[in-house]
Amino acid sequence: MLLIVGGEGSGKRSFAKTLGYLEEEMADGILDHRPVLFHLEQMVFRDPECIDSLLPRLAEKELILCNEVGSGIIPVDHRERLCREATGRLCVLLAGQANCVVRMVSGLPMVIKGSLPCRS
Amino acid sequence: MMLLTGGSACGKSSYAEALCLRFSMPRYYIAAMRPYGEGSEEKIARHRTMRADKGFVTVERYTGLSGLLLPHRGIALLECICNLTANEMFDEQGNIKDPFDAVISGVATLYRQCRHLIVVTNDVGSDSKGYDPGTRAYIRALGRINATLAGQADHVYELVCGIPIPLKGELLP
Repeated sequence: MLLIVGGEGSGKRSFAKTLGYLEEEMADGILDHRPVLFHLEQMVFRDPECIDSLLPRLAEKELILCNEVGSGIIPVDHRERLCREATGRLCVLLAGQANCVVRMVSGLPMVIKGSLPCRS
Repeated sequence: MMLLTGGSACGKSSYAEALCLRFSMPRYYIAAMRPYGEGSEEKIARHRTMRADKGFVTVERYTGLSGLLLPHRGIALLECICNLTANEMFDEQGNIKDPFDAVISGVATLYRQCRHLIVVTNDVGSDSKGYDPGTRAYIRALGRINATLAGQADHVYELVCGIPIPLKGELLP
């Protein structure tokens, strides 16, 4: 599994397309048969308690894209804090299982674990 | 001295604790987080469980690090500068003062008493919400403190998904 993280609009999906993934292979915040999932953070924000049950299903994906949501002032709202932290913890767990982790900054991919897969 | 930064729940504490375990010397955990607000007790309890059986002596110190005395020279983990800065800056009566000197001299006092010091901070300046003047002053103060500590540190890493990215100094093997 390849994990791509980065801020909103940092170029995660564009980069995924350069790896050979098509738009129709990418599921927007839902778990289905498609090999790519993006907006993982939105799934966590819908239900921050779900990360343990999500993990095995996420491990079956080829590619997961997640917004980094943990920067900036720590929110006063308890639920928002929980959601940010759950997203962060889930990404730590996924990164531990991933063969490769990429962090996008200004559209530039920074490989921070492993090496990029060649998709045949 | 090592400075670890990164967003919420990016794996800073786990990384820092694992690093401390590599050294067989007295281990101190300097906790600056004042239990305040819903969820803080749980967060403190979670961190305490993580440190259980790792041989850390926990020292709760919310302000005035300059007056702290450690009984032995060992490795200390200070967590975190965001809390310490807020505690030094805002009091319960709503007064605001510049926290810079108290935080910087507090860290220096702590470092003088340690063989190794790991300092955890957070990046709070990267969002676009319109904050009140007090919060904006806090963001700027913390940014200035982080930059000063990074200047003093031998190693500065940003943690992303639990992975350390060296911003200053070599990555420890």
